[in-house]
Amino acid sequence: MIFKQFRYEPLNQASYLVGCPKAKEAFIIDPIAGLGDDFYILEAADLGLAIVGVFETHVHADYVSCARELAEMNGCPHYLHENAPTTYEYTPFKDGDVFTVGKVDMTCLFTPGHTPEHTSYLITDKSRAEEPWAVLTGDCLFVGDVGRPDLLVGDQALDVMDEGERARTQFATINDLLFTLPDHVEVYPNHYGGSLCGGVNMSGKNSSTIYYEKKYNLAMQKPDAAAFAQFVQDTAKPLPDDYEKIKSYNLGLVEKDELQGAGV
Amino acid sequence: MAEYQENQLLDARGLLCPMPIVKAGKVMRGMEDGEILKIIATDRGSIVDFPAWCEDTGNELLEWHEGDDGLVFFIKKVEEED
Amino acid sequence: MTPTEVRAAQQEGAAVLDLRTPHPFAAEHLEGALSVQFNRADLVDRVELVFPEDLPMIMHGEPEAIGKVAAKLLSDAGFNVLGHLEGGLKAWKAEGLPVVQLPTMDVDELKERMGEFTVVDARDPFEFKYGHVPGSGILSWTEAWYEADSVDDDPPIAVICGDEIRSVLVASILVRKGKKAELVTGGMVDWVERDYPIEKGMD
Repeated sequence: MIFKQFRYEPLNQASYLVGCPKAKEAFIIDPIAGLGDDFYILEAADLGLAIVGVFETHVHADYVSCARELAEMNGCPHYLHENAPTTYEYTPFKDGDVFTVGKVDMTCLFTPGHTPEHTSYLITDKSRAEEPWAVLTGDCLFVGDVGRPDLLVGDQALDVMDEGERARTQFATINDLLFTLPDHVEVYPNHYGGSLCGGVNMSGKNSSTIYYEKKYNLAMQKPDAAAFAQFVQDTAKPLPDDYEKIKSYNLGLVEKDELQGAGV
Repeated sequence: MAEYQENQLLDARGLLCPMPIVKAGKVMRGMEDGEILKIIATDRGSIVDFPAWCEDTGNELLEWHEGDDGLVFFIKKVEEED
Repeated sequence: MTPTEVRAAQQEGAAVLDLRTPHPFAAEHLEGALSVQFNRADLVDRVELVFPEDLPMIMHGEPEAIGKVAAKLLSDAGFNVLGHLEGGLKAWKAEGLPVVQLPTMDVDELKERMGEFTVVDARDPFEFKYGHVPGSGILSWTEAWYEADSVDDDPPIAVICGDEIRSVLVASILVRKGKKAELVTGGMVDWVERDYPIEKGMD
């Protein structure tokens, strides 16, 4: 398996390449426009891999995604969970769907909360073992922190859940769906450090493990959803600049020129 | 599997056949007799390329294996007696 | 360059370099294209060892961004790069321009059908000397461009190397010169893995 994490420092964002060198194919997860489509195309080409799928954990609000363009340039699907309320077409998947490159399985784990369509991706390298090795947790679970529930655009049809519901769902999702994974599973999130998508306890470290977050993630030590929601609110950072505009672009509601440089 | 302590490391990952050998040749020229060069390569052809290169140059292929990062070769420099 | 422009340049002697990996190339490629897999690290080094600097060349990458980057890398290195193919294979085929396949066989098939082919080894002499398919001859990847004309393709040629990178290049050079050639997938790595017979020394 080839597994690469790309860090975009200006927005503390992490994207991923997951591939199989024998099959010569790879998936890209959460590509960011700040790095650009060419960046991913060349990284994959340098590794002798064809990009056969572009996946997103959710529709992003703090950065401009280049998933649509990247998928089009590679003639491959742009995947999002079937709940994603975009205006443009994408290839939908459901909880439990498995996508494969060579010996690598990527299982879709529907983990709503931060957003209503949020999905984590469980990675299993069958050339080594049948057990999962890592999980890409998007903005659900961070190293040391959790995704914030208050990035709403103000349209019920698009937001689906309000802040309170998102927080409660997030708490249940992490406990019931992520913390029930084997302890050794590595956690690779979509943000780190100073990113505004999580609270003040977010670590700058690349990755963690289910075991470590279960034990030491402060928000998740709270006894119930209400206490969790309060803690998240108390430890929140300022809202990302222009998040409504960025989210609108990523949803397909506005064109790129309306962004005027936001989210890159 | 024995692990050798290398004197130099050549990261040949991403290089395409036969460039790992071409680069190894350059690095070896700057090494002393008896020193060990560790090479990590991702090109599959390296599996037959390096043994052949060792026979041609007289260098000794100590060991190779498939690691997480790529194919790992430990080669000891053997100065040719003229 | 548009597909039509590329075709016209080909007819004037320009070479199209297809930057994809061996299998997609073998499955379908622009007629006359040569297989030179892309990377940023050593594309220039490899092209330098194979082609003359004044050869007019056109890049074909999928996606197109790869063609653009390769064009710049090679022209910066002094090669005669005319441009890259806009729109890729899709645009080429939409214009009704010809695509071809490179036939392939794996080592098991080669072993079974050895008598039916002229087996050619695309590696360097010292590699050939160390161990090659019995009865095979050598046409090094660095010599192929210059010596392809003199290769006899009756019986048809089966090209092999360590894995597939150099053999697919040599096979595409031979085909461009009008020879009948096929690619042996898996190469000597597979051949040796299966303990198939090896001949040592130079022929």
